[in-house]
Amino acid sequence: MTRGLRAALSRNLGLLLAVGLFAALYGLYSAQHPRGGSAALLVQNSNESFALILAAMAQTVPVLTGGLDLSVGPLMTLVNCLASRVLSGGPVELAFGILACLAAGTLGGLVNGCLVVYGRMQPIIATLATGAVYIGIALFLRPTPGGAVNADLSAMLTYDLAETAAVLGVFDGGQAAWFQPFAPIPVPLLLVLAVLLFVWVPFRGTEMGRGCYAVGSSEGSAYLSGIDVDRSRLAAYTLAGLFAAMAGLYLALQTGTGNADAPQAGAYTLNSIAAVVIGGTSLFGGSGGVVGSLFGALVLRSISFNFRVFDEASWLGALADPLLQPLFEGMVLLIAVSLGAARALRIRNRLQLFG
Amino acid sequence: MSIRCFARAALAATALLAAGAALAAPKVVAGPGADPQCFKPWEASTTHLQWPAKTGPYRVALVNGFVGNTWRIQMIQTAKAYVEKPDIKPLIKDFKVVSTGTDAAAQLGAIEDFINQGFDAIVTIAVSPTGFDRVIRAANRANVVLVPFDNVLDTKEVMQVNEDQLEMGRMHGRWLVENVGKSGALLEVRGIAGNSVDRDRHIGFREVVEAPGTSFKIVEVVGNWDDGAAQKAVADALAVHGKFDGLYVQGGTTGAVRALMDAGHPLVPVSGEAENGFRKLIAEHKDKGLKGLSVGQSPGMVAVAIKAALSALQGHPMPQLISMPIPSESYKTLEAGKNFWPELTDNFFTANAFPACGVDISGIEIMAQTKEDRK
Repeated sequence: MTRGLRAALSRNLGLLLAVGLFAALYGLYSAQHPRGGSAALLVQNSNESFALILAAMAQTVPVLTGGLDLSVGPLMTLVNCLASRVLSGGPVELAFGILACLAAGTLGGLVNGCLVVYGRMQPIIATLATGAVYIGIALFLRPTPGGAVNADLSAMLTYDLAETAAVLGVFDGGQAAWFQPFAPIPVPLLLVLAVLLFVWVPFRGTEMGRGCYAVGSSEGSAYLSGIDVDRSRLAAYTLAGLFAAMAGLYLALQTGTGNADAPQAGAYTLNSIAAVVIGGTSLFGGSGGVVGSLFGALVLRSISFNFRVFDEASWLGALADPLLQPLFEGMVLLIAVSLGAARALRIRNRLQLFG
Repeated sequence: MSIRCFARAALAATALLAAGAALAAPKVVAGPGADPQCFKPWEASTTHLQWPAKTGPYRVALVNGFVGNTWRIQMIQTAKAYVEKPDIKPLIKDFKVVSTGTDAAAQLGAIEDFINQGFDAIVTIAVSPTGFDRVIRAANRANVVLVPFDNVLDTKEVMQVNEDQLEMGRMHGRWLVENVGKSGALLEVRGIAGNSVDRDRHIGFREVVEAPGTSFKIVEVVGNWDDGAAQKAVADALAVHGKFDGLYVQGGTTGAVRALMDAGHPLVPVSGEAENGFRKLIAEHKDKGLKGLSVGQSPGMVAVAIKAALSALQGHPMPQLISMPIPSESYKTLEAGKNFWPELTDNFFTANAFPACGVDISGIEIMAQTKEDRK
């Protein structure tokens, strides 16, 4: 093995571990599911994972800079409630509604960034406080769950391409012969790819994006190397806000309503951190990326998928006990995180991790 | 949306129909439904739904939201005990339970998953009263009977099971008027603010105790349906207001009564939930003046939801909204080993049986189930 390849492997070991774990867990689920591997199941699975994937992506960027964002869940909830207010009417209104939602989330992220950078607050404290504020605004927007998101928009983005084509009335309403191979592709899957290709990859390539990694690795060195530390940090939290907005928007499309649910917001924040860790991003900052978190989120979801298909009569049946499910979920999480951290115990110098 | 878009949507729907994804849905039919003693329509105007009959045995799933308080655990144990009963077991091929936490996306996913797995019925406690249109559509398309209970949905498109919270509040009010008189000072201990259950019970209660002809002075505190919170709230209220002639406690009644005793307050009529601890206290102190009414939101409701689902699968017409009888016992009817258990823990919910529905799973049976799982 060449030195370069080995370095690349060791840099991405966390990511590979997450991919492997996901493949194993999802494979186990698909094998036991009567419709495992079918398009309908793929649509359903990608649908229920998408919001968490985006929340995990949102969490990743601040973590890369060595920070943490506890307001991911609340910000997502805020945008969810806003979306349930503005996503109705004609195509023009809908387009403006989507823009307003994304802008609101980005603004929320920017506020977090300003508090951390200019307010010089600990990220944990700053985002804990803003998280409470965001839940408050969400409750103001939706004191009780409700609202009606445009059903066509919802159908267009939360099923497969056939449904999208049908709603748009293109390709003979999705019936065109050449279109059939593409028809069963879940739209959320394409949306994830789009977010990666058109948001994350370009951002990573910019000076700010590279700055996020540099600041997380060693803030002092980054500063001495002439990196604009403040701007990179600000960008990290703002991008997190944009990702959280997408998550909230998607949740609104999926449920068709808004719900200022504080426990749910908390669950998303915690799960986003877990997904980041499983995905191989270091909580100390400086290494990892959103692709790892994507698979981290998928691992988390796949664990709970399996509880639905375990046969109680088989040896796995004990795992399916409804009262023990949270325990097993936690144990798998712990094992996954420990596997990633185990390497750090065996080395003398953390630099060795990077080949 | 513009007319053009609407036309497109209509076209899309036709295309879908043509593609064979025919939209099935329960038919709205005239009542009366099956077994009206058990499946009582919510009100006279409640519609009835009918699904095409399927041959059993059936595959049934329970999709719980969060798990983490006694009520939910007891609910799950009741469900597991119920499907093992000799008259139900032959009807059930497969019974699965998952708890999805507080995340709506995960709960929607789990319901959709069981639809995809080919389950015949899914009973669920919804994490949110809205947002389930997607799975309702999916369930209808696959002829799956979806039955939300306890925390029900704001929709008329699915069959749902619940107790009438408004009526429950009225029952407490009527009983207090009977036992306290038409005037005096009452303490109302409410539940979690902003919850529809708390709101409805409160409105029902006030309807009775503020009716013409009564003149109560009512003090209101918040006890969050929790023994600790209720105990503190009652202790504070006693310190400030001195003396009350009766208490209405939505939940956490054991704590509320303890506060009454700790303060050396004379024992007065208390109308509360169906916690075992409250019933133990009533039984012990009823001769010293602790008259009590114990009314409960029963975890046994899950069994009725399952029974309703099975009945719907057999093709019987069912009310869209089923009103459960509200199980209540007073200090006169309490009997150790029958409707309360002195040897069991305080926060166990005693009201578990619905005799009208043939649901007679007692507390003991459920505890046995728990023990079996622990080995």
